[in-house]
Amino acid sequence: MGSLFSSSISLRKSVKITDDEFILLRDFIYEKSGIFVDIKRKYLFESRFSKRLAELNLPSFADYIKFLKYDSMKAAELSTLFELVTTNETSFCRDMRQLDAFQANVLKEKIDEQRKAGKLELNIWSAGCSSGEEPYTLSILLHESLKMELARWKINITAVDLSPAMIDRAKKGVYGDYAFKTTPDDIKKRYFSKDAGGWKIKPTVAKLVNFKQMNLNDSMSLKRLARSHIVFCRNVIIYFDEEMKRKVVGSFYDNLMPGGYLMLGHSETLHKISSTFKPIYHPGTIAYQKEG
Amino acid sequence: MKHLDELTAGMTLASDLIASDGRLLFKSGTELEDRHLTLLKRVGVTEVDVEAGTGDLSDDQIREIEEYVRDFFLYVDPDFAPAIQLFHLALNLTANSVAEGWELPDLNQRRATNVEHMEDLFLIGMGSPDTIVKHESELTSFPDIYFRIKEVLEDESASADKIAKIVSTDMSLAAKLIKLVNSPLYGFPQTIDSVSRAVALVGAKELSTLALGISAINYFHDIPAELVDMKTFWRHSITCGIFAKLLAGTQTGLAPERFFIAGLLHDVGRLIMFKKLPYASTEAMLFARENSIPLVEAERSIMEFCHTDISEPLLASWKFPEGLSNMINFHHNPMEFPNPLEPAIIHIADNMANAVEIAQGGMYVLPGIDEEAWEISGVKPEMLEGIVEQYKEQIDIILSAFT
Repeated sequence: MGSLFSSSISLRKSVKITDDEFILLRDFIYEKSGIFVDIKRKYLFESRFSKRLAELNLPSFADYIKFLKYDSMKAAELSTLFELVTTNETSFCRDMRQLDAFQANVLKEKIDEQRKAGKLELNIWSAGCSSGEEPYTLSILLHESLKMELARWKINITAVDLSPAMIDRAKKGVYGDYAFKTTPDDIKKRYFSKDAGGWKIKPTVAKLVNFKQMNLNDSMSLKRLARSHIVFCRNVIIYFDEEMKRKVVGSFYDNLMPGGYLMLGHSETLHKISSTFKPIYHPGTIAYQKEG
Repeated sequence: MKHLDELTAGMTLASDLIASDGRLLFKSGTELEDRHLTLLKRVGVTEVDVEAGTGDLSDDQIREIEEYVRDFFLYVDPDFAPAIQLFHLALNLTANSVAEGWELPDLNQRRATNVEHMEDLFLIGMGSPDTIVKHESELTSFPDIYFRIKEVLEDESASADKIAKIVSTDMSLAAKLIKLVNSPLYGFPQTIDSVSRAVALVGAKELSTLALGISAINYFHDIPAELVDMKTFWRHSITCGIFAKLLAGTQTGLAPERFFIAGLLHDVGRLIMFKKLPYASTEAMLFARENSIPLVEAERSIMEFCHTDISEPLLASWKFPEGLSNMINFHHNPMEFPNPLEPAIIHIADNMANAVEIAQGGMYVLPGIDEEAWEISGVKPEMLEGIVEQYKEQIDIILSAFT
C-alpha cells in the first residue's frame, strides 16, 4: 500500500510524562477538584496537556507542576487546568423522564409543603452546573409549575462549578443548537430569545439563578452555602473516587434541610457510598431524601 | 472527470470510455498504462472519468485525516511499536475512504443519538451481572438447535453424518455455514454445496463449533435499532473474528476457526447490556466519546461492571465451551487468565478491529494492547500490514454470509 503519510510520522506528539510526574499532577488535581484520574489515562493526559506545556514554553511535566504550585500566575493556571480536566457535555432538559418525575413528585411535594407552612421560598443547589443548562432548566421547571404565583415566591438556585470559564459561559446564557437536542420546541420558544450567538436565556429565567465558582473538595466554602430544600448533582460524582464521593455526598447531606432531596444523574447511585439518605423510587428517577 | 493532461499511468477508469464516434475504447475498471494515454491523445479524447485516488487529497485534507485518526489513539502508549503500526495502517485506510468520498464525521455526529424515551430494567447498583443474566435467561429461551449441536460437539463418538443431519434441520443455519465454508475464511479451491461435504472438508468438531457460534448469534434479533446500529455491531464482531483467525494462523498449534468464533462473540455481553440497560449503555457510549476513553472503561465508570462481567455468567448459563468462553471473558485483560495466549489473540484482534473501523466511521478510541499480551502472542508489528490486507480481501464476502 503506497502511503501519503511519511513513515516517520510519529504517534507521539507530546512531551513524555513519567509515572512520578503523573502521580504528582494527579494528586494536585485531586486536591484542587476532587477529580480522580486513573493511571490508565496517563497517555490521554500527556496529549491533553502537551499543547498547554508548549504554550507556556515548559519543557517537562515536572516544570508544569512547579508552575502550578509556585508561579505568580498559578491562580489563573488553575482555571485552565480545570478546563483541561473536565468535559462538559450537557444540554437543556437532559433526561426528560427524570425531570418529569422530579417535577411531578419531588418539586410538587416541596411546593405544597412550603405553601402549607406559609413560607413561599425555595432554595435549590445545582452542584456541578457546567455551562448553566441544568440550573436554567430547573428555573424553567419552576416557571412551569408555579406560573403566575411565581412572583410571590422567593426562589434561589445556587449554581456552582469548578471551572471559572464555565461559570462565565453560564452567566452569558447563550446556547447553540446542540444544547437543545432534548428540549421540547415550545419550551425553547417560551424561555429563550434568538441572539446573534444562538439562543439567549430570558432574564426572567436567569434572575432566579446565582452562579459561583466552587471546588466541591473545599468543605469550608461548601459550609458557607445557604441550606437547601433540593440538591441537584448530576453526572459529576462519576469523576470522583469513592472517598471523594462519600465526602461530597456528606456535604450535600449537611447542607440539606430535614426532608430535603438529593437528585443524582440517571446512571448514578448512592449504592456503596451512603446509607444516610432514604431512596424514594419514582418511575424515571430515584430521589434521595434526608429524613427529617 | 480529469483532463487528459492530469492523467497518469496507474489511474483506473471509473466508467466505460466512449470515443466521440460512439466506439467503446476501454471498459470501466481498466488501469491506464502509458500506451493507453498515447492512444487517447491520438483519438482526441480530452476528458476521462477516473476513480478517485489518495493522490487527489489536498494538504489540508491530509492534515485533517492525521488529526482525526490521531484522536483514536489518545488512550494508547504512543511509543509502543504495534500501536504506531496500527496508527499508520489506520491513516492509510482513512485516506482511502476520504478519497472515495467519505466525509470525516464532525463533533456532533460523533455523539450518540437521543434515547430519552428508553428505560432501564435495572437501576444501577440493584442489578448485578448475575441477576441481569438470570432475568434474561428466564425470559427468553435459547434456540433448541444450539443445544443439539452442543450435544454432538461433546460426544466424541458422534459421526460426521449426525452433525450434518442436525445442522441441515435449520435451513438458515445450513445456508450460512455453506456460505462461510465457501468464503475466504477457509479458502477451499472448489465450491462446497452441501453440509455433509462441508463437514467432511472442515472437520466435524470445527464445523460444529462454527454452527454453535452462529446459532448463538441468532438469539439476538431484538436490540432497539435507535440504540445501536446492529450492522455496525456485527461488522465489528466479524472483523474481530477475521483478525483473530488470521493472527492465530501466524502461530503454530492454534486452531484458527475457534478464534473466529471467539472474535465473533467477544462483545456478546454488550448485547445483554443493550437489552437490559439501554439508557445506561447509551450513557456509557456518550461518556466514552466525550472523554476519549474506551467503551469498556466507560461501562465500568457508569455501571460498575463491564461487558465481560456480563458475558461470564451468560456464557456459563449457555454452557458454552469453556475454552471459547475464556477467550471472550478475558479479551480485555488476557494476562489475568492463567493461560493468556488465546485471550491475548482476541485482545489484539479487538484493537485491530477498532483501528480499521476508524476509516468506516468507528467512534471509539483503541482500548490499547497490553505489552505482555503482545509479547506472548508472538505477533510482530511488521505482520500487521499483511494481516490487514488479507482482512480487506475477506471482510465483504464473510459479511455477506451473515446477511
